[in-house]
Amino acid sequence: MQRLRSLALNPDGFAFDPTTGESFTLNPTGLAILEGLREGLTHEQITARVAERFQVSVDDASRDLDDFMDHLRAFRLL
Amino acid sequence: MKKKTLTIGVSGINAVDNPGPGIGVARSLREAEDLDVRIIGLAYDAMEPGIYMDWVVDDAFMLPYPSSGHDAYRERLLYIQEKTGMDFIIPTLDTEMPFYMKYRQELAALGIGTFVPTPEQYRLRGKDRLGELAAALDLKLPRTVVVGSLEELERAVDAIGTPVMVKGAFYKAYRAYTTKEAVGHYNKIVAEWGYPILVQEVVKGDELNVVAVGDGAGGSLGRVAVKKMWITELGKIWTGVTIQHPAMLRATDRFMETYRWRGPMELECMVDGDTVYLVEINPRFPAWSYLATGVGVNLPDRMVRRALELPEPDTGADPMSYPTGQLFVRYTYELVTEMDRFQQLITTGERGDTP
Repeated sequence: MQRLRSLALNPDGFAFDPTTGESFTLNPTGLAILEGLREGLTHEQITARVAERFQVSVDDASRDLDDFMDHLRAFRLL
Repeated sequence: MKKKTLTIGVSGINAVDNPGPGIGVARSLREAEDLDVRIIGLAYDAMEPGIYMDWVVDDAFMLPYPSSGHDAYRERLLYIQEKTGMDFIIPTLDTEMPFYMKYRQELAALGIGTFVPTPEQYRLRGKDRLGELAAALDLKLPRTVVVGSLEELERAVDAIGTPVMVKGAFYKAYRAYTTKEAVGHYNKIVAEWGYPILVQEVVKGDELNVVAVGDGAGGSLGRVAVKKMWITELGKIWTGVTIQHPAMLRATDRFMETYRWRGPMELECMVDGDTVYLVEINPRFPAWSYLATGVGVNLPDRMVRRALELPEPDTGADPMSYPTGQLFVRYTYELVTEMDRFQQLITTGERGDTP
């Protein structure tokens, strides 16, 4: 979570890791999830936010969140 | 009271596809606030582009190669000093370092300052001592074997397994996918640069480097880390970004503290997740050092001030801090000029306004 918090994130979905120099691009869903994680929201709160913002079912939003978390782990951001 | 103009010799003004560090160093000195400098370009070839970049380099002089003998080299420097009143020299090429370390005191007695490591410090960071160095800095070292013959080379390649990096003691590093290829690289490097040769395991990861200047007393005058984002076929950085990598900055601080390094240095690492591999430590400014100046850490300026005991401006800012996420972009550029400069260099070995 420390790395996640230290990311420089712009509103267009560009994230820069000032420790490693890696950069990432996020789609709007990814950006919403990342913002939620950095705000310290729970899984349920982020799911609800994504479902509402992108007009998808809670199940779909929850699955998107799980997929995204896997990506973050793969990039060692979590 | 009028400020004294400092005349500073800078080598490595070969701003080519394998760029020397000199132009970045000279630009940094020019941009230093409250430092009035005249830059003397020290060149080894009449076609080094810096000779013709008169907005960066004021005068230029040809030097004999250091390998052609220290006496001729010293004589030439003394001639240049007599002609220009050169106060200080910043050597930026590895092959020059033995000369400047050896004659540091003699040059100082003649009024030419330098800020270079001692021969002992230089030796301890040698490529043949990387194992000890990595351990001292708490970094990993890719498996490395120092070889001095073809038999040793073949044994090393067999032991490490391909692909391997074949590296010279001063310059050049090639990747070899077969033993035959390794032999070819070995012969090429030995012919050009001599022994020893290093055979090193290829490790994956991002290339992260640090430029710093040691104060010779265990501290640092500043340091900046970069991630190479785009490199040329020769492995030279073309695009990079400033980062704050704690392990690398810590290793740099530890290097200064342990070795009491005096002068510029570049720490080169490969970083794979949490594993930081030491590639090497160069005893000079790297070609990308202008990036540090661009983010407010003007290392050549700080070094010259410290060496010549000039006042160091108190900006109120932490001298170790710099912004991350600042992009370094190198580009190519052309200039067109009269041929007389080239002719002057060829015939007289110098060009400039100094009478």
